[in-house]
Amino acid sequence: MLVDSNSYIGHWPFLQLKYNNFPALSERMEEFGTDMSVVSSLNGIFYKNTQFANEELYEEIRSKKAYQNRFIPFAVINPIYNGWKGDFETSIGRFGMKGIRLHPIYHGYELSNPACIELVKMARDRGVPVSLSLRMVDSRPSSWLDVEKEWRLADVMPIIREVPDAKYLIVNLANNVALNEEDTELIKKSNVLMDTSGRNVLDLGGLLKTYGREKFCFGTHSPVLDYATGLLRIESLRPDEADEDTKEMIRSGNLKRFLGI
Amino acid sequence: MFKINRRTFVGGTAASAAGILLGNTLMGSGREEESRVEAEAAKKIDLMAEVKKYRKIDSHAHFGLAGATNASNISYADRLGIDKLVISKPMAPGSKGLPEEFRACNDAIIGAVKAHPDRFLGQLTLNPTYKKESMEEIKRCVDLGFTGMKLYNHVKINSPLFYPIIEKFIDLKLIILMHSPIGKARVKYNAREPKNISIPEDFVEIAKRYPEAMFQFAHTAGGVDWEDACKALQHSPNVYVDLSGSNNIANMVEFALRYIGEDRLLFGCDNSFYQGVGHIISAKMTDAQRRKIFFDNYNNILRKAGKHVG
Repeated sequence: MLVDSNSYIGHWPFLQLKYNNFPALSERMEEFGTDMSVVSSLNGIFYKNTQFANEELYEEIRSKKAYQNRFIPFAVINPIYNGWKGDFETSIGRFGMKGIRLHPIYHGYELSNPACIELVKMARDRGVPVSLSLRMVDSRPSSWLDVEKEWRLADVMPIIREVPDAKYLIVNLANNVALNEEDTELIKKSNVLMDTSGRNVLDLGGLLKTYGREKFCFGTHSPVLDYATGLLRIESLRPDEADEDTKEMIRSGNLKRFLGI
Repeated sequence: MFKINRRTFVGGTAASAAGILLGNTLMGSGREEESRVEAEAAKKIDLMAEVKKYRKIDSHAHFGLAGATNASNISYADRLGIDKLVISKPMAPGSKGLPEEFRACNDAIIGAVKAHPDRFLGQLTLNPTYKKESMEEIKRCVDLGFTGMKLYNHVKINSPLFYPIIEKFIDLKLIILMHSPIGKARVKYNAREPKNISIPEDFVEIAKRYPEAMFQFAHTAGGVDWEDACKALQHSPNVYVDLSGSNNIANMVEFALRYIGEDRLLFGCDNSFYQGVGHIISAKMTDAQRRKIFFDNYNNILRKAGKHVG
């Protein structure tokens, strides 16, 4: 079984995307054998009122039974925009979304912002994961209107230190993944999953040794990144790096456990 | 409310999107070509079988880049079914580019190729500012079997300093791989780029001046505005474009196919091996197009000098 932890629908203002709607994303999933996908809305990055994006996502998934069975929606919440607590309650409580996506770089706040910490604690109390991406696109060829800031893995550690008992899904490990000894231990003992889509997953076998095989899951970052590379990092693992049980955990087992499905 | 439980989870996996084929048509291709692409795309992929199905020449690899060794390069190549790697060791950015520097870089490649002649094809580097020493270095390296040249940013590709070097490479029927810049998406190129960085327009100019020469525009996935670069290079038939680099943004390969065409695109990794292979496997194209990009196009370049892979 294969479950993608990191996909999107919606638009990117500076680049034409394909496979960015449910029929097209379904086609890619079918081709590569992906059974289910965690999905959030790219529009939620750019709408000032992110809740419109969550409503669009909800309505689209609700429109077809097949979509309800194969997509796992995450709500985009902006904790420095008024009404966010209501947005959280509606998305998680009424819409039944399974997690939240935060975009601090685009929405203009730090992970240390008290409202962000409050939101993460709310997610923890409801048992839903908080997903963070080290970057959305490569800032080098992106637009003059796009943000330039990207994160290293170390940059997300402050929120994990602040709320260590929340669930975190860290995706697109595009930049430095090195952590000091203390943070490495924190990741190991916390409920953290990291996906395989990012360019700095250079040596997945080594990362499995460092953090443990229960810490990684398949992710595509599609339709922003190509669909195959995140899966290739798993499927090309050698037997001495990962046995079949470990591969199955990365393909779906770890994420299923994490999401409680 | 969405209620995903174990039963619907398993049941949902049977849901089929068969028939939902949004034709990712390539401009200029006929309906027959579109149908073939769509039909091939409809098959479910066995990823590693698909990866191993194609012979591959990595047209852009380095020794020494971020600690890359012969062993690490070959390990990645074996993992991903890459038959040959075209390797080079350009001089460090910002270096003086002295003859002793480029000779030392080339010595490292000579050693790598000698150690693994079945896996590595060597490319030399030089600095055309030092014409006599550069011409001597070309002779030394080509006599040892080198198959091309890789240059960084010490001199622009369209500088008159390069003319005698390019003319020599025309005689040798060997390709010239030149680094490309980061950015332009922010209107200007990245501030860290030196003034001698070769931009796409420089390739267009030199390719027009020397239509018999073969140039390789480096790494569309290396941080350049790849859409801008491909559009600039679309009418330069003697500029090949390699798809290497770390930025495996979706649709780059299809975009390059549309503007550059299937005969001028080259598979390459620039040591980002997963992305280099992954984004070509992911792209919508025919098997024949993938074979060209992974292997045939570069082998045809090598064939011109009789250095092709059997």
